[in-house]
Amino acid sequence: MAPLLQVESCTKRFGGLVANRDVSLIIESREIVGLIGPNGAGKTTLFNCISGALHPDEGRIVLDGTDISRARPERVCRLGIARTWQVVRSFGRMTVLENVICGALRRTSRVGPARARALELLAFTGLAGKEDAPAASLTLADKKRLEITRALATSPSLLLLDEAMSGLTPLETAAAVELVRRIHGDLGLAICVVEHVMEVVMPLSHRVVVLDHGEKLTEGPPETVSRDERVITAYLGERYRARA
Amino acid sequence: MAWVGAALVALLYPIPFERSGQIYYETVGFLVLLNAMLGIGWNIIGGWAGQFDFGPSIFFAIGAYTAALLSIHLGWNAWLALAGAVVVSVAICAALTYPVTRLRGHYFAIATVAMWMIAQPIGATWPLINGSQGLFIPVAPGASFVHGMLTMEFPGRGKGLGFYYLSLLLFVVALLGARAVERSKWGFYFRAVRDDQDGAEGIGIDSRLYKVIARCLMAAIFAAGGVLYGFWALAVFPDQVLEVNWNILPMMAAVVGGLGRLWGPVLGAVILIPISQLMTATLGAGPLAGRGIDLIIYGAVIMLIAGGRPNGLLSLPWARWAARVLGRAPARPLQG
Repeated sequence: MAPLLQVESCTKRFGGLVANRDVSLIIESREIVGLIGPNGAGKTTLFNCISGALHPDEGRIVLDGTDISRARPERVCRLGIARTWQVVRSFGRMTVLENVICGALRRTSRVGPARARALELLAFTGLAGKEDAPAASLTLADKKRLEITRALATSPSLLLLDEAMSGLTPLETAAAVELVRRIHGDLGLAICVVEHVMEVVMPLSHRVVVLDHGEKLTEGPPETVSRDERVITAYLGERYRARA
Repeated sequence: MAWVGAALVALLYPIPFERSGQIYYETVGFLVLLNAMLGIGWNIIGGWAGQFDFGPSIFFAIGAYTAALLSIHLGWNAWLALAGAVVVSVAICAALTYPVTRLRGHYFAIATVAMWMIAQPIGATWPLINGSQGLFIPVAPGASFVHGMLTMEFPGRGKGLGFYYLSLLLFVVALLGARAVERSKWGFYFRAVRDDQDGAEGIGIDSRLYKVIARCLMAAIFAAGGVLYGFWALAVFPDQVLEVNWNILPMMAAVVGGLGRLWGPVLGAVILIPISQLMTATLGAGPLAGRGIDLIIYGAVIMLIAGGRPNGLLSLPWARWAARVLGRAPARPLQG
């Protein structure tokens, strides 16, 4: 069976800067893939290309047999990819419930069923009781949780999480990891996480892809990647080796 | 209860003036309702979709001209002409707006101003609409009040009353329509695009499409308002229907009353229009006439409200005040 998502030799340039060079990547359905690399490695650019916010200059991105290299974000979402942002993009002046209803309206055009679906998902992600709060009033952890809930409401087959845990306290991070596990286990989605916190990515991912200077350095199971000399030099650093 | 009260006031308002012959106050009521209706329309694109449109009067003008042409050349009934004017206005709005929906924020606003500026020389020179000499809408003589309501033609007495009720009818239709939109998928999507366009696109919302839809809803309401105004004035002149006030007043009504709230523009129009009329009627005459004192005070009132309550008057704690006046226990315990 063909993989859910295929990124084939993707290159994206910004003027003279090559943000992604010849990056290939595969995500199978129901798989959790970690995307790591130092700052400026091109992780977010790759996410933007996959989700349609940017279009690759060369190469192809195929979702479930459909070429989405040139598709706009709203079409990519309709085809089954939902994402969150590094900087939260909740609808601040709408309530928590209304935010999620906007997502749920992707699959139904009637507000009633969308509301029911939104309430279900808010209970699932642990935001029950905060439905009527304005989204702008939430803590950062809850805003990120809300964004995940809103993305889930579009019923995706692949969820892209861009640093969903950065800036959170250790306790909040643990809760977020738990949420990602439950999304994977209960909803059966494929998930791709961009994350800086190795303690989060390594135990969570089935497979890890390492980017450096816009190119794919290596990929493989977390335990292999974390022992890879090149990865340690480029990104993890000697301290990580000492701990591992 | 409040609803029934407001409806009764709106329905009975012109009766005493009709009896005493003070038609002027009926006309003030007509202008309040017309601007409230336009404010409701502007609130859809400006308040909900968050795209400031500084040139909505072009759709007011398109509405007035289309209805006048249909009435003069084809002899259409005013209501039929209104339907035609709405269709034409929405079609033109869709074609004009789609290209500029790529623009965001200030740039979108500037594009709408540019459209309005381009419309002015067209209105003043186009032979089809008789250029700056305008179009005159003929009125058949000697008809009854009921006939007037069915044709928007009031050759004699009863015009003030008739147009008050015509504007009330269109206002109620606009209000109920906006209320239905607010609670529908469109209403959710408009606000999503306003709060974060990239976030909205990320959950599958075509931001350009929904900006066009929001502006077309506004264009429909402005066109209907333009038709009403044309039949009231019995003539359509480019400098009148493209007047800057048709851009500014509906927007100010929405902002002063409460941007993005259904009743905001209604409250704003109820406050602003009578003040403006009162100022002109009292200070516009007498020893200080011609010095613009009326406009200065009017402007000061608006600045006071905008500065003191930037979120609009509807954001004040009306419910708590009402509870206190009616002697009920306040919803929240009062401090100290």
